[in-house]
Amino acid sequence: MSQKLLDVENLTMKFGGLVAIDNLSFSADKDKITSIIGPNGAGKTTVFNCLTGFYKATAGSMFLNKKNERLNLRKFSDFKVAQKAGVARTFQNIRLFPQMSVLENLMVAQHNKLMDASGFTILGLFNSPSFVKKEKEAVEISKYWLDIIGLTHRADDDAGDLPYGDQRKLEIVRAMCINPHLLCLDEPAAGLNAKESAELNKLLLFIKNEKKTGILLIEHDMSVVMEISDHVVVLNYGKKIFQGSAKETKNSPEVIEAYLGTEE
Amino acid sequence: MEKKFFQTSIKDSLFTGLIALALFGPIVGLRTVAKNEVLEVHPKWFIVLIIVVVCAVGRFLTNLYVYNRDQKTGIQSSIGKSISNFLDTKGYQIALTAIIFSVIFPFLPFTDRYLMDIAIMMLTYIMLGWGLNIVIGLAGLLDLGYVAFYAVGAYSYALFAIHFGWSFWICLPIAGIFAAMFGVLLGFPVLRLRGDYLAIVTLAFGEMIRILLLNWYQLTKGPDGLTGIPRPSFFGLPFKSFPDEGEQTFHTFFGIEYNPMQRIIFLYYLILVLALITNLFTIKIRRLPIGRAWEALREDEIACKSLGVNPRNTKLTAFAIGAMFGGFAGSFFATRQAFISPESFTFIESAIIVAIVVLGGMGSQTGVVLATVFLIGLIEVFRDFESYRMIAFGGAMVLIMIFRPRGILATRKPTITLEKSSSK
Repeated sequence: MSQKLLDVENLTMKFGGLVAIDNLSFSADKDKITSIIGPNGAGKTTVFNCLTGFYKATAGSMFLNKKNERLNLRKFSDFKVAQKAGVARTFQNIRLFPQMSVLENLMVAQHNKLMDASGFTILGLFNSPSFVKKEKEAVEISKYWLDIIGLTHRADDDAGDLPYGDQRKLEIVRAMCINPHLLCLDEPAAGLNAKESAELNKLLLFIKNEKKTGILLIEHDMSVVMEISDHVVVLNYGKKIFQGSAKETKNSPEVIEAYLGTEE
Repeated sequence: MEKKFFQTSIKDSLFTGLIALALFGPIVGLRTVAKNEVLEVHPKWFIVLIIVVVCAVGRFLTNLYVYNRDQKTGIQSSIGKSISNFLDTKGYQIALTAIIFSVIFPFLPFTDRYLMDIAIMMLTYIMLGWGLNIVIGLAGLLDLGYVAFYAVGAYSYALFAIHFGWSFWICLPIAGIFAAMFGVLLGFPVLRLRGDYLAIVTLAFGEMIRILLLNWYQLTKGPDGLTGIPRPSFFGLPFKSFPDEGEQTFHTFFGIEYNPMQRIIFLYYLILVLALITNLFTIKIRRLPIGRAWEALREDEIACKSLGVNPRNTKLTAFAIGAMFGGFAGSFFATRQAFISPESFTFIESAIIVAIVVLGGMGSQTGVVLATVFLIGLIEVFRDFESYRMIAFGGAMVLIMIFRPRGILATRKPTITLEKSSSK
């Protein structure tokens, strides 16, 4: 069996007396889509915040397996998770840079690479050829992703002026611009109509199949979850109550009970 | 309809007159004068009357022409709009004209010593505004203690120049580096603060530096200030009317008559060049990754972290570079005045610079120039009215906020565009 991309082992997160995540273990595969579902307040977003360094987990470990390395994500603090480990994320409420252009949003995502190329700004000030070349490459990468989501014609408009569905897609490709190993999406289909969410499915499958990036997905929209997930983890009150394929999840009595309650 | 509207306008303007009377009656009308160790009241009812009439008539006119949106003759719909349009589309042309004008300014026929002094002062404020624009306009960090870096620059220049006798061109970068160090010093404790909290801490920092300068008597001579700061020389040629034996001065070297204006003109070009360097640097750095990261940080810090942008380094560089330009401006101030004391670095200076940046339109370089000319110019025009000139200052702010609520030049141009970079 091939090694998993992400191994979460006995992850626990406490806020004072409240146990938000209780001894959670699961794993996510490379080029697979793993969905985390559960009722409101089940601790899904908390898992993401722990993974991406926004919270310091109380206990447990999260290992990211790259080709030759095994990184414990707990050792990285906020921005270093994205910078050093290559874990990208999006947010439940879209967090673009609204007053910057679409292209600029994607350029900021390639900040670390460009920062090195600009010789910590000094080479960049004098337009060194190596920096100009790197910047051109970064624009090409941005253009590549804009072509995929069909927003090339709006590249120079403010990101905040885009329609809601396009902002969602832009946030996802912005995360892809840091060239991540693992992409964590927090409710990407929230607020999308049927057509937009079908486009989203296509985009996610493209990322999975063509880019071989592991995707971790929090979602409430079951049509999205059932259609594209390879693996589903169900949380309730911070505990894992089920995991399996999408089909198995749909028919699992525990999951139905967590969502709908038991019959008296 | 028309008649009723007229009546309400008159009623409204009379009411405004009453409010003005209640406000300005005691403030302006009752003036106390100390005479023979007794305080006497000298009423000035005539001035009060003028103010009240101006308020009432002004209100009546605005009622008729500004707030009456049915009539297309409204100021806002015609003049205001065309000015707005002009400012939005012609930013580049305005900038170019301003630069050309400032280059030929010293040789224009009406230019005299007084105008040159004002121009030098304005350019100093423009340079400070441009420096602070990096911190406030780009990185979005509301810094109310910017004058501290101005002070650090001025004092470090003065101390190095007095004690070591180094020339302006050596002391200038040293002063900049010192100011940048203080920028980092301020930056570290406020890394986690945003908005109002950041504003309060930076304000306190500005006051701390001033009080330090005031009390560290051995080094800074406290309230006495530092005197005898060397004047800058023209690449080693001093400006002197009576040169020492065998000394080359500016006028003997070029074989012209001595004229005190020569030094003023030199100072003018010096600050012009320094300010333009600040401007060019900012325009360039905005297009580099670090500049884009500053703006991204202003927009959303959490999103920045999720993309692997280091918020600590990004903020500290903004503070350091902004402070460095403040330091440069400070050294220029020291060498121009030849005397500095903590009195020159009070909070009001910070407030004026912040006002210039905010009213100019945050992040806009040309906006800073327009706001400076408007605000500082008004203060100067009304100088004869003594402390009442601050009313003009306040009025100017109110006007800008009414007609251009996001600043004089609020349009932001993207730092990189697809068409341009693909056609290259």
